[in-house]
Amino acid sequence: MQKLGDFKLPHFFNYPPYFTLQPVRDTRDKQVQLWKELILDYCRTQKIFVVGLEEDFPLFSNPVVERSLSHEAREAFLLALVSEGRAEWLDKGHRKCLILWHRIQEWADIILSFVKDNGLEDSVMTVEEIRSGAESRGTELHGIDRTILMRALRLLEQKGKLAIFKGTSTDDEGVKFSL
Amino acid sequence: MRRRPGIGGLQNAATARDQYRLLGENVAKIRTDLMKEQLATFRSQLEEFARKHKNDIRKNPAFRSQFHEMCAKVGVDPLASNKGFWAELLGIGDFYYELGVQIVDICLATRPHNGGLINLQELCNVLCQRRKSDRGGVSEDDCLRAISKLKALGSGFEVISVGKKKLVRSVPTELNKDHNEILELAQAQGFVTVDEVERRLSWTSGRAIDALDTLLDEGLAMIDDGHRDGKRRYWFPCVSSISTSVADT
Repeated sequence: MQKLGDFKLPHFFNYPPYFTLQPVRDTRDKQVQLWKELILDYCRTQKIFVVGLEEDFPLFSNPVVERSLSHEAREAFLLALVSEGRAEWLDKGHRKCLILWHRIQEWADIILSFVKDNGLEDSVMTVEEIRSGAESRGTELHGIDRTILMRALRLLEQKGKLAIFKGTSTDDEGVKFSL
Repeated sequence: MRRRPGIGGLQNAATARDQYRLLGENVAKIRTDLMKEQLATFRSQLEEFARKHKNDIRKNPAFRSQFHEMCAKVGVDPLASNKGFWAELLGIGDFYYELGVQIVDICLATRPHNGGLINLQELCNVLCQRRKSDRGGVSEDDCLRAISKLKALGSGFEVISVGKKKLVRSVPTELNKDHNEILELAQAQGFVTVDEVERRLSWTSGRAIDALDTLLDEGLAMIDDGHRDGKRRYWFPCVSSISTSVADT
């Protein structure tokens, strides 16, 4: 089976017609479904948060069968993810897409359990610390996309679980947990 | 001197006829008895054989197929009924019903991808994978037998021959001769182009496109516009091994 790094590619990735958007409804639904799963799986295992439509995303072409997805097909698959809440466009032109293999709510839950596991219930952390600090090493939060992290933090802020404030001396934002 | 027929002569003739008849009846009776005896021996031998090789019949697909062949030659159908000697002895009826259910399952699971047409060989492979935990393998012959039993349900399961391959159809689509010829052509590479169909089958362009469009609509074909030569290719998941691999994922 073909691999991308340590990622096992599904069989359909080597079947050329899957790189052409299918005109027949049922066939296309199945095709979109398979691509959605593949994109989510790949991004989750490779920790990829943003997919650019015009960039060289490894899934968008397969040199083995000499096929690559048209712009239209890329957009169609991502659009399907967006409509399910598993992705969001970062711009109006649909050129960059945020992939939510965890939904924002799920990320918020992950932050909460991270805070509890580390006894940070009343502590203050900077946003950067959460992303790359020693505490988050080895957890899913390590290296999380900043946009997603901020969205999850704001969700928690709305629920009164924390307060976000702007530091006076640094550019970075700080978070005060109050669980 | 010519003797005229007398009463004695007539009586003689009658006695002779009677005796011939008696003799004939005797011979016939002896023959039937012999036949009956032979049949009884044969049956007991066959039962003895089945009993002795019960495990082989259950476990070894090749052996099973030969046993079926032998039964067919002597006019015994072990699958005719789930009751009675054969079923009780071999549990062979249950085996095929179970297989039938699993075949229906696989056909349904792969339908979105292959449009309800699956290569018999592929079907058999998936079946073996699914039954891994059970003892013994399953041959194509077993699949065919199980499918023939499914026909009793009137569910439209059918085995069609396209070229050298056998395909199992689980949707009521009627494939006409044109469609079959295209599928046969596609077996070589897994796909065809309109040009190729026209050239190889000497069809007009309209006829080829029409048949291919139908196959597309039925979900049996997929288009591929990605090749360098820019010619649209029509792929047929049912003749390539991808169909079932997709179902596994």
